[in-house]
Amino acid sequence: MKTLCKVATLTLLLVLTAVGALAQDEARAQSTTVLMNLTEGQGTALGNDNDWEGWSELTLIPGGALFGVSTKATVITLGFSAGSTVNIQNMILYTTARSGITITATKKVTLGGKSNPTIDLASTSVCPTQPVSVTNPCFVKLDAIKEALSPLSDYYFVEYFTSDSNNNSMRGAGSSNLNNGLTAWQIDGDDTQIPVAGTIPVGYSGQAPIFTMYLTNE
Amino acid sequence: MRNVYRFATLALVMLVVSVCGFSQKSATKEATTPTLNLVRGAIGPMGSNTSWANYSLLTLVPGAGLIPITSTQTVFYLGFTAGSEADISNMVLYTTVRGTSTITAVTPVTRGGVSNPSISLTSTSVCPVQPLSASDPCIVRFDPTSIALSALNDYYFVVYFTNDSNNESIGGAEPSYNLSTLLGWYVGSVDETRLTVGESLPSGCCHVPYFVMFVMSN
Repeated sequence: MKTLCKVATLTLLLVLTAVGALAQDEARAQSTTVLMNLTEGQGTALGNDNDWEGWSELTLIPGGALFGVSTKATVITLGFSAGSTVNIQNMILYTTARSGITITATKKVTLGGKSNPTIDLASTSVCPTQPVSVTNPCFVKLDAIKEALSPLSDYYFVEYFTSDSNNNSMRGAGSSNLNNGLTAWQIDGDDTQIPVAGTIPVGYSGQAPIFTMYLTNE
Repeated sequence: MRNVYRFATLALVMLVVSVCGFSQKSATKEATTPTLNLVRGAIGPMGSNTSWANYSLLTLVPGAGLIPITSTQTVFYLGFTAGSEADISNMVLYTTVRGTSTITAVTPVTRGGVSNPSISLTSTSVCPVQPLSASDPCIVRFDPTSIALSALNDYYFVVYFTNDSNNESIGGAEPSYNLSTLLGWYVGSVDETRLTVGESLPSGCCHVPYFVMFVMSN
């Protein structure tokens, strides 16, 4: 019986050691999340005009420009260069086939759990360096989208700025004149309500976004 | 003593089973090559460039534009915007030292195992969305080419379209804006796929890429 116990203990130890060693690799991979760009963001923040009340910005996130970072989340960062309050009425992420215009899926995008957030640019907890300006732009990370973007699809992030006086005075931080992975255009009206099988609005001009600055994994 | 052997055998079997179970994940990961961009591909709406009979299409894949993805193979994706059948006489991938035009290696490229494929663009198994158009281009995947692209080289993917009536009506995807890493040009009335090591690439580079939309790992 004593021998039986010895063999059992030894075997158990062997199993535990093997399982532990194998699990270590997985754990190491999961425990360290490093901030990484999912595509090339805007290299400069030049700032842009005011008067965004009642306008939508449509940012193309092309699958063909994704770096291939392994991630289960996508984080969009918006940039602002002037204003005190930003009122967003809705935010959405459309999916299309690569270079296609027909929407195949839609997903809500949120900030603080809301798809219609109000962003207080005068708050130091939101924008640590005050006042917000072209030289001190404020970058606001939206909530992580629990989805890994596929290089076999294109994506359009659209935010619609409420038609009110706050959005008249706020400005975007983007508009870099450098060639990067993100491009956008702006349309007067709400373009966040297009259903699946609808088409992406025309107007693409290959310009850098005014508000969407970066696309990262966290 | 018999009990000891029985127990030891059982434990050994358990150990083998658990080790196999854990190692399965790693094996699955290795077996499937992920589909990742090797360079920034085509971005934004496509235009259409037609009439390719007796033309050689050249696409530069610059080593300096490679996304650092580990891949032992390279897959080209071509976008068609018009036509019923594309007839290709030959396809190759030339290698040069970065920034130079002297060919140092020639690698055959195939589709369906042949370097002179006919692509039926009216087949829904090839082009699910019919009819083809610039807004719904048909993106055709070519066979994986067994070459790991190096950042120290440049690569030129060359396709020679047969001089026939089918190719008179085919259209190639042409990005409206030059936002891709890929660059292209074409040469008429010459088959530029027959160059050999030591020869120089033809002049004329570079515009937006024609046809070649993506270069990926799978």
